[in-house]
Amino acid sequence: MQSRHGFGNSLIGLINRIGAVWVAVIGLYVVSGAISPAMFQIGQVLNILQVAAFLGVIACGQTLVLLAGGIDLSQAGVVTLVNIVAAEIMGGHAANIPAAVAACVLLALAVGVGNAITVTRLGVTPLIATLGMNAILYGGALVYTGGAPHGGIAAAFAGIGAGSVFGLPSATLIWLALSAAVAWITRATAFGRALYAAGANPVAAHLVGVPVARTIGIAYVGASLLAGAGGLLITSYIGAPSLGIGEQFTLTSVAAVVIGGTALSGGIGSVVATVGGAIFVTELASFTTIARISTGMQYVAQGALIALSVLAYRAVARARAA
Amino acid sequence: MTVKATRRTMLAGAAALALAPLAARAADPIANAKITPLGGMVTGKQKKGPWRIGFSNGFSGNSWRAMCLAALKQEAAAHKAQIADLIIVDGQGDITKQVNDIEGLINQQVDAILCIPNSGSAVANVLRDATKEGIVTVPFNLPVDGEAWTTYAGTDPTNKGMALGQWLAKALGGKGKIVGLGGLPGNSYTAACWAGTKEAFKGTDIEVLAMKDAFWEEDRAKVVMADLIAAYPQIDGIWCDGAQDATGACKALLAANRPLVPVTGDDYNGLLKLYAADKASQPKFDFGLMSEPTWESVIALRAALTLLGGGSVAKRQIIQPGFITPANYRQYIKADMPDGVFVDTNLDDATLKRIFG
Repeated sequence: MQSRHGFGNSLIGLINRIGAVWVAVIGLYVVSGAISPAMFQIGQVLNILQVAAFLGVIACGQTLVLLAGGIDLSQAGVVTLVNIVAAEIMGGHAANIPAAVAACVLLALAVGVGNAITVTRLGVTPLIATLGMNAILYGGALVYTGGAPHGGIAAAFAGIGAGSVFGLPSATLIWLALSAAVAWITRATAFGRALYAAGANPVAAHLVGVPVARTIGIAYVGASLLAGAGGLLITSYIGAPSLGIGEQFTLTSVAAVVIGGTALSGGIGSVVATVGGAIFVTELASFTTIARISTGMQYVAQGALIALSVLAYRAVARARAA
Repeated sequence: MTVKATRRTMLAGAAALALAPLAARAADPIANAKITPLGGMVTGKQKKGPWRIGFSNGFSGNSWRAMCLAALKQEAAAHKAQIADLIIVDGQGDITKQVNDIEGLINQQVDAILCIPNSGSAVANVLRDATKEGIVTVPFNLPVDGEAWTTYAGTDPTNKGMALGQWLAKALGGKGKIVGLGGLPGNSYTAACWAGTKEAFKGTDIEVLAMKDAFWEEDRAKVVMADLIAAYPQIDGIWCDGAQDATGACKALLAANRPLVPVTGDDYNGLLKLYAADKASQPKFDFGLMSEPTWESVIALRAALTLLGGGSVAKRQIIQPGFITPANYRQYIKADMPDGVFVDTNLDDATLKRIFG
């Protein structure tokens, strides 16, 4: 019994030291590589890192909101609308890139402020507020395009999401830079401390002088801006507008964050772990494609892993407390 | 109304379709459309006009539907002496809402109901009720269960799949390794197309490495194809039922510095533009495309008007779409228009520019 406890404790110790999600990322990589050796190719690693960048940037924003004890289901709508608006304004001309990017940033900012006001000032539950916002954004995209999106990106813009720097996908570098910046903000600034405090216990945080409403509001604005950045990256990667482009991120943005270990209840988690979560979700999708596993089974695995992650992190937290 | 539909006549018609030559389509796709009647003739009971026509659209969220709707409105405008009102309702992708929409059209006592179903089984009962009330019911594009509707217009996806399979097998000289990219997970259209293709591959040395869902979205197809490229060093051809998938897959090949290969799909302008841009540097790039015509709505409306005027149409009008290859793509390509245009269209460029901004 003692040795089993010893093994359990050392496993938990290892997981605590390097982070559970990274153990999961490496574990899945080894298992999937053993089943499909193609996963071990350097090209495929770079491919996974490139595709993970889009989800990673969006999930980085979702982490802020989850840390604040909320959730943002309007990120999918922001991605779709940014894709539509960027392609429309750019219209294939490099000269229009600044205007297109500026319009998308303003759009994401407006959505974030809208979510912030609805949640913190009007007191609407985050799930409902952001779900409603998502419907407004998708509906807006439909009305704006009449169902037929137009325009396209400039060739120069493709370098951002589809190009590479020193052999590394530029989208990945942008994602890692953004994640590092947000990780620093959440770990080393007064806002970061306020964010964790407001998410863990808003009443107590308020009593000790944390500006709870403002902090949560900023988290929603950050989530929306990062969804906008993710939308611009994926638009750059594919080059064409599509009304269905954002839909996939409704589930995966939350999945990446939760698998990274951020608690849905707020106040616990980290942006760096979300990087691992985004890689894990992308790795899983990539593995299911290479191993010829059906899309249905991919969804089942994704859903089961979200539930398992929540249970596992809770168990680890309890073991740590005991 | 009299109806005679037998399995044998349907099979005979399908066989005739499979043997139909894959000819180039001229400027007016509808005038030159190959339409095979199946299942006997239906004769309408003449009603006094002008008529009120309802259209229950399952949803309207993509460029195919936008063009389909524009074609319907254009056709209705051309018959404005016969049509007093065209009432369009949008099911927003919701099965229940569409049933309610159709009930609403029945309550408004329209003379005919056109319908693209969200679910072929869900709308079957309400269309039967409408038909019993004496309303001419015309499901089109996607089939409705049973036969308790007046007449149907659409393609035969199995047959389309067979034609695409035959083309791809020929393009590859009867042997090679291919991957397949379909639409939304579990959709019946891709399943029927793929079944037809597998039939066409029988007796060839075509090896199917993988068949994946790509959601008829360029970005999804590019991501899935990038994984398949890593898994399979040799991919000689790509089977798709929609050319958004084919375009995304080609972009993945280009990103991986792999040569473009023969692909199949439909009449998505993006692929034709990609071909025009890359054909000079890609000697193996080839395509065989068969449209799902956006002008099916025109065939459906004309059928309704014929029946309301006391005329006859076939129980099922099976449309054989045009085949687009590098040999005739110049007739179709819309070089100065967005990728999302479906080029087998009866809409003129001015109308397309209006739809696509």
